[in-house]
Amino acid sequence: MRSFADVHLGDTIGPVEHTFTTEGVRAFCTLWGQTGESRFTSEEVARREGLPGPIVPGIMSMAVLSRLLTDWADGGSLRLLDVIFRQPVPHHQPLRLVGTVTDLRPEGGQGVVEVDVFLERADGERLVTGKALLAVPLDAG
Amino acid sequence: MFLLDMHCHSVASDDARATVEQYLRWIQVLRGRGYQVDSIVLTEHRRFDGAADYTPLARRYGVVVLKGSEVDTRWGHFLVYGVTDALLRAVDFTDVQMDARRLMEEARRHGAMAIPAHPGRFGIGLVEFLARGAEVPDLEIIEVLNGGSRRGENERAEALLRERHLKGIAGSDAHFVSTIATCLTAFPHPIHSEGELVEALRAGEFRPLRLEETAPTPLRNTTK
Repeated sequence: MRSFADVHLGDTIGPVEHTFTTEGVRAFCTLWGQTGESRFTSEEVARREGLPGPIVPGIMSMAVLSRLLTDWADGGSLRLLDVIFRQPVPHHQPLRLVGTVTDLRPEGGQGVVEVDVFLERADGERLVTGKALLAVPLDAG
Repeated sequence: MFLLDMHCHSVASDDARATVEQYLRWIQVLRGRGYQVDSIVLTEHRRFDGAADYTPLARRYGVVVLKGSEVDTRWGHFLVYGVTDALLRAVDFTDVQMDARRLMEEARRHGAMAIPAHPGRFGIGLVEFLARGAEVPDLEIIEVLNGGSRRGENERAEALLRERHLKGIAGSDAHFVSTIATCLTAFPHPIHSEGELVEALRAGEFRPLRLEETAPTPLRNTTK
């Protein structure tokens, strides 16, 4: 379990490599209740909508960023994830999930950790940027 | 050498998530890693908060905090430095369709300076408008290096700079804490006020650079 005392300003979370596959996006869309062909699953629909190819749903990008954070917090909880979608997220492209601890404060008997999070290409170009708040125990004991 | 981040947004801008104090605290992290950052210019979107006083924060963290603005024009975004009450009376900073040339003229008339921000930005940068016939004969400086640019955008700005023999400034365009100071403008002497910044820009002795160029070693990885 991660404790507040273990966390320092400037700590890096990740990076974790991630590639969204069309199969994975289809499975996510089915769970989400989006079963028809869409810009998320169909090359043809995506191109008709002016996109270069099918893209990843915004909430799926948020989901993998959430997992990055909760895996790292290891028992802590995600209080807020506020993101800006800067560019469409493509299928079948190696991407990187990364976070940086930017602020720390004890609050209400817990430690609040503020994190900048990014979903970026291998060359560092950022597709999704955001800010998250995590709550972790003040001490692991 | 005095290094300024000429372009950043705090929570006073509608789409930014960092407070000024968080930026200044993050600059201490960067300094701890060996980088040099001396000053930031807050360039909030379509506004200038003349009443905001960051002097206590600036003193506490040892960073010069200056104020400017980033406004929207028909020919893209412009960074305005040396904003005065008289300029605010002459130009409506909230007008997203303002005439860029008039902005530049009014800024000059009131002792300020208006510089195209991220001119290479696809769709909304000055490069697009110049290609469609916009004329800016008095263009002298552009933001040639912008930390928020997508692939190819800074290169388009660089091409404009070379083609027209312009001078270039740099700024992070930070909206999040950890993105402050990724791009900086180097001046030969310290700058302590908005007036001094405009004078230094007029003097023309500055150059753009990336944060990595200010330290001898690459960014330390603190992965846990």
